[in-house]
Amino acid sequence: MTGHSQKFLPQPQPGTETYWNACRQHELLIQRCSECGTHQFYPRIFCTSCSSKAVDWVSASGHGKVLTWTVVRRAVSAAYAADVPYIIALIELQEGPVMMSKVSSCEPESVCSGMAVEVSFEDWSEQVSMPVFIPTSSKD
Amino acid sequence: MDRYGTTPEHLAAVAVNGRNYASLNPHAQMREPISIADVLNSRMIADPLHLLDCSLVSDGGAAVVLTSAERAKDFPQRPVYLLGFGEGHGHEHISQARSLTTSAAVESGRRAFRMAGMGPGDIDVAQIYDCFTPVVLIELEDLGFCNKGEAGAFVASGETALDGSLPMNTNGGLLSYCHPGNPGSMFGLTEAVAQLRGEAGERQVKSAETALVHGQGGIMSSHATLILGQEQAL
Repeated sequence: MTGHSQKFLPQPQPGTETYWNACRQHELLIQRCSECGTHQFYPRIFCTSCSSKAVDWVSASGHGKVLTWTVVRRAVSAAYAADVPYIIALIELQEGPVMMSKVSSCEPESVCSGMAVEVSFEDWSEQVSMPVFIPTSSKD
Repeated sequence: MDRYGTTPEHLAAVAVNGRNYASLNPHAQMREPISIADVLNSRMIADPLHLLDCSLVSDGGAAVVLTSAERAKDFPQRPVYLLGFGEGHGHEHISQARSLTTSAAVESGRRAFRMAGMGPGDIDVAQIYDCFTPVVLIELEDLGFCNKGEAGAFVASGETALDGSLPMNTNGGLLSYCHPGNPGSMFGLTEAVAQLRGEAGERQVKSAETALVHGQGGIMSSHATLILGQEQAL
């Protein structure tokens, strides 16, 4: 894909640098509380379940299911014009947390809630790779 | 829609409701009447939101004068009284919402009604935050005006029209009056005051003594509810 430079690119911060660095390596990280075991995403400095500050990064399975979705048909800016229509979904990861992402390699008419998806990565720049989800192939 | 059978027509009915009032409001940005079919035939922006399910882009601002009830008695304008208010905050990002069909309007509404010593049945006119049509249905239910899943049919059957049981968004709302961004709900407040003073012209709700204003921010994150009344409602 080309023409990502004018898109809204993430600006890694101290709390998210580890996450984006892993994305660059095509690995999806989420947080896990080492006190109560709860997984969470997006990253915070404490556990949203027990308030412990002992949250660590762990590798996510990358598997999940679509909870709900929309098909974006009006590009938010010219940089996204070539992408529409595309699917934005809330995806429940196997570990529990819900994340918002794009579902690619899927016709807008085919997406449905409960659909099994797995993470994939789009390289948007030298520094930034975006996690997206694709339908889990039948061989899985 | 999946859980309660809410239809695109139900959503469209919210937009038509706002436009009907806007057609009676000389200050509204969009005054030309629309039909359910017009909404459904407008281009899709992000499913299930058609263009006419989305609020306007406007410039605008509003102001209110807030003072004590005692001082207000000396003012030339008939005062409107704040009877109750409440806030509720659910999440920061929508991915963290505890539910996509129930919002923190439950808490904000409950707190406001408790302070006012009233219930939904005591409200004569409502200004419900309408950035997009589905938001209105969720808020109507969460504030207690309808049971869960029933707000679509409530609006579609005309209950929120001028002669209905709960006239709603009587200036035309964010969908048809104006939506200048952050000040959006201020127009719900000024419209409620106009209704309670009997200054709403052709869109005046007959004998409106109480009003509810509901605002929402973030992505269904932060909710605030006001209940206002004329002196006799004190």
